[in-house]
Amino acid sequence: MRGRLVITVVLMLILGVGTSYVGAQAKTTITLWYPAGDVAAGPTSPFHDPALFKPFEDANNVRVNLVGLDYDTMEQKIFAAAAAKNIADIIFVDRSWVSGFLKEGMLEQLPPAVAKRWLAAVSPDVVALSDFGNGTMYGYPQLGYDVYALTWNKQQFKEAGLDPNRGPQTWDELRADCKKLARRDASGNLTRVGFAIRHVGEPHGIVDKFAWALWGAGGDLINDQNALRGGHVMFDNASGRSALQLVLNMLNVDKCTSLNFPDPRAAFLKGIASMQISEAVSIRARQPKEAPDMPWQTGWGMEVPPVPKAGDKPVTLLGGWIFTVPKAAKSDAMAWKAIAWLSTEANDYSVAAKFGMTPRYKSNWAKEPFKSDSYDQALLKIAKYGRRYPLNLGLDGVMEALGASIQKAWHGEATVDQALTEAAQAGNKAITDAAK
Amino acid sequence: MIRRSLVYALLTLGGVVMVLPFYWMLVTAVSPASDIIAFPPRWFPSHITFEHFADAWARAPWLVYYQNSLIVAVISVGLSMLFGLFAAYAFAVYRFPLQTPLFLLILGTLMVPVQVSSVALYVLLARIGWVDTYAGILAPNFASAFGVFLIRQAIGTIPMDLIEAARIDGAGEVGIVLRIVAPSIKTMLVVVALILFLGSWNDFLWPTIVINSEGLRTLPVGIALFKDPYGIDYGPLMAGAVIATAPMLIAYAASQRFMIRGVTLTGLK
Amino acid sequence: MPSVAYALRRIYRRHYLHAYAFIAPVVILFGLFRVWPSLETLYFSVFNVELLKQQLTFIGLSNFRDMLQDPVFRQALVNTLIYAAVIVPVSTVLALLLAVVFTEEFGLKDLFKAVYFSPTVTSTTAAAVVWWWMYNPQFGLFNVILKLLHLPPQPWLMSSHMALSAVIIFSVWKTLGYNMVIYIAGLQAVPTMFHEAATLDGASPFRRFLSITVPLLAPTTIFIVIYNMIFALQAFDQVFVLTSGGPANSTNVVVLELYHQAFRRYRFGYASAEATVLFVIILVVTVFQYIYSRRYEVAY
Repeated sequence: MRGRLVITVVLMLILGVGTSYVGAQAKTTITLWYPAGDVAAGPTSPFHDPALFKPFEDANNVRVNLVGLDYDTMEQKIFAAAAAKNIADIIFVDRSWVSGFLKEGMLEQLPPAVAKRWLAAVSPDVVALSDFGNGTMYGYPQLGYDVYALTWNKQQFKEAGLDPNRGPQTWDELRADCKKLARRDASGNLTRVGFAIRHVGEPHGIVDKFAWALWGAGGDLINDQNALRGGHVMFDNASGRSALQLVLNMLNVDKCTSLNFPDPRAAFLKGIASMQISEAVSIRARQPKEAPDMPWQTGWGMEVPPVPKAGDKPVTLLGGWIFTVPKAAKSDAMAWKAIAWLSTEANDYSVAAKFGMTPRYKSNWAKEPFKSDSYDQALLKIAKYGRRYPLNLGLDGVMEALGASIQKAWHGEATVDQALTEAAQAGNKAITDAAK
Repeated sequence: MIRRSLVYALLTLGGVVMVLPFYWMLVTAVSPASDIIAFPPRWFPSHITFEHFADAWARAPWLVYYQNSLIVAVISVGLSMLFGLFAAYAFAVYRFPLQTPLFLLILGTLMVPVQVSSVALYVLLARIGWVDTYAGILAPNFASAFGVFLIRQAIGTIPMDLIEAARIDGAGEVGIVLRIVAPSIKTMLVVVALILFLGSWNDFLWPTIVINSEGLRTLPVGIALFKDPYGIDYGPLMAGAVIATAPMLIAYAASQRFMIRGVTLTGLK
Repeated sequence: MPSVAYALRRIYRRHYLHAYAFIAPVVILFGLFRVWPSLETLYFSVFNVELLKQQLTFIGLSNFRDMLQDPVFRQALVNTLIYAAVIVPVSTVLALLLAVVFTEEFGLKDLFKAVYFSPTVTSTTAAAVVWWWMYNPQFGLFNVILKLLHLPPQPWLMSSHMALSAVIIFSVWKTLGYNMVIYIAGLQAVPTMFHEAATLDGASPFRRFLSITVPLLAPTTIFIVIYNMIFALQAFDQVFVLTSGGPANSTNVVVLELYHQAFRRYRFGYASAEATVLFVIILVVTVFQYIYSRRYEVAY
């Protein structure tokens, strides 16, 4: 009997003590939420350094608490936190989430004067990332670029008799190179694909790796870049069809690729795919560990993805993350101060240099190491052609619909026309639903 | 004889299927990064490396995670068992007004997915200051509908004679529950405790939403952080999963010792 | 035995206090932390919810109308029903067979038991990652084995036709241990005197199994079927990590669909409406199962 009583009391105590434990608190603390993950040269690498904000902390007598969150459930967490008005002061979020946040009235605008100064001082691609239409800014974009590039394996190019310093420039070249690079085993199965395609997993990811083709062919996800509501899809046409058909040709006619290499980045790093298109930063970050004998410049190269025919203007997806302060944040003034501090010209330079990323200010690009670093310059060249997704609230639904139809088309479960028609229907519906 | 060998064979085949993913997990945890996505895949690592364990261990405060998972699991399981036992007894033995609606209400809490109710719960907890606290993590887990339901089924197999006899002997209801009923369904109680423990240990969605500070994170929350938006760091993820799994195997082993061994000759245990 | 009704009537009055006292902690805690949030969620179904602006616009049943006309939701519903209809019987039967095998004593029994239970102790994330690799059509384990047996390799998670089955197999693997352990415990409660009587009467083990073990296991079976059904209809984790609902919505399930609506499209009212529909389905199915199962409750 006494034993049980003791246990109960102990349990009560733990419970009581537990209730009074409320996170970390010291002087004024502001919290920053970012997606946790890989430590190397990605947009989030600065956050792994707890001393990132040290000078700011000292000057303002605050503590900046950097907290990593699980990316997959991050939107849900932010939403619940905002609803409860118990949210971090700074959130580092995927730019594509901003439309949804705007719909819910979660974000504040930067003062127009500040925004104007920023947009004038940064490189054009950063402008594209910062601007939410007519010079409005809701936060500061990340350092570095989240840009989609065509990467190729230089060694394999050399072996196949191709110029290792030049990737395919047009779709026809892409197909030709792909054919030359594919390798088969004795029974005719592909052991190495010329070009790996992403066709499984999150529909958004599939669309991300397809955007270059759709845009290149002249289509788009939604017809208006900046409207939050309304509009219609723009891929149910010749552009969309030709973009889908490109991969289908590589699969079924050229037979230089297959559906059996579902993780293009891994395949590329492992040497079983000679080319692929995805975020440049992911290859850059993973190559040292996963493919140590394929270093940048000598082992792999990158360029803007190929265009349908010679003379077309290249285009690629420019994704990205932004620092923003939710309206419900408790210390929003200090939070804005913090991210503004991180985005001054001086800090832009020092943080970029320290963490191996690229700066945002035009003036910083003129300085070393960025001026001469081959990787940075290559990245800049690609980012020049970067384009962001439309801001529409229905974007998520459109991407899910398009992603599903891309899968159907490439898996041979629907014709290109059927797939696109279905996706257009669902996409337009998503746009109207979101506008309500 | 043939039957025996056949059963053994099937059991072994099934067993291999059951444990193969585990094996792969272990192999991945000790294989060098270049082996992990090798083609063709390697069944045995080229050499054993503990770099992923070291990497995973260095990247996250595992002891804190363990401590938190343990605190949450012990309190949640303890309270669930206690409250669940009494509630199950009441539902099984007594007849009282509102009994069926209340039972269905408890069952009903299982029917609304936690994903949607999480937001409303989070807002409620924020109002009482329980966000980012142990109490907050425990809030939906102070009791368990699963426990109530299963224990009730188990109590239903106890003959009423036993309980009647104890009452005639002058035992109080609480005493009956603790001294007669609980020992009779000991095996089932152990199973419930085990499953509740595992459920709490592996619980991911709610802890991820309600925990903001690193110091409060539980194991599943910590493991998920080895994924990033650009992919999965397989080596450390698997190493982390192995690190997290060990105590559960211990819990399982411990629970086995509490199970009644063999069968007794009489119907009443 | 004295008149049961008379004895019970006396007990009725004396134990109301105990009854309510015993169920109070569970009811209060659930009421506060589970029932209330769930009710609020169901309440949101008839509104256009802008949670952060704290604006609720009443729109009646229009969420429900939209839902029933949405092919994606319809497919998610169908997938969920198929998933549940397959996984519950398969899991239950396999678990029962295993549990029966494990009541016998034989060499390495404890090792086997641990092996069959091991999937349930691993985190779903890690397990899903491993299975994703095993399902790889080029060099995943399953196709390697199929090739060894000279059988054609399967697309598994890559095909809309097969993906759901692949997810089901993964789920069965993951949850077998739970059900098995519950059955084992349930079997131990079956009094052996019935078995002995039957053996003396000359019944074969198979006959004993069917006529004695299975009926006496009814309470456990009822629990397992109802519980697994409730959870199968709310499947989320496996699909979230393994396939994200693809390819082409073939593994989309209701809870994943409502998750996307709530947290990607910020249509919280609509998501709540989907949750309500799911709730009603689960409730109806459970009530039916419960009523039907009363027939099988054996008293002794």
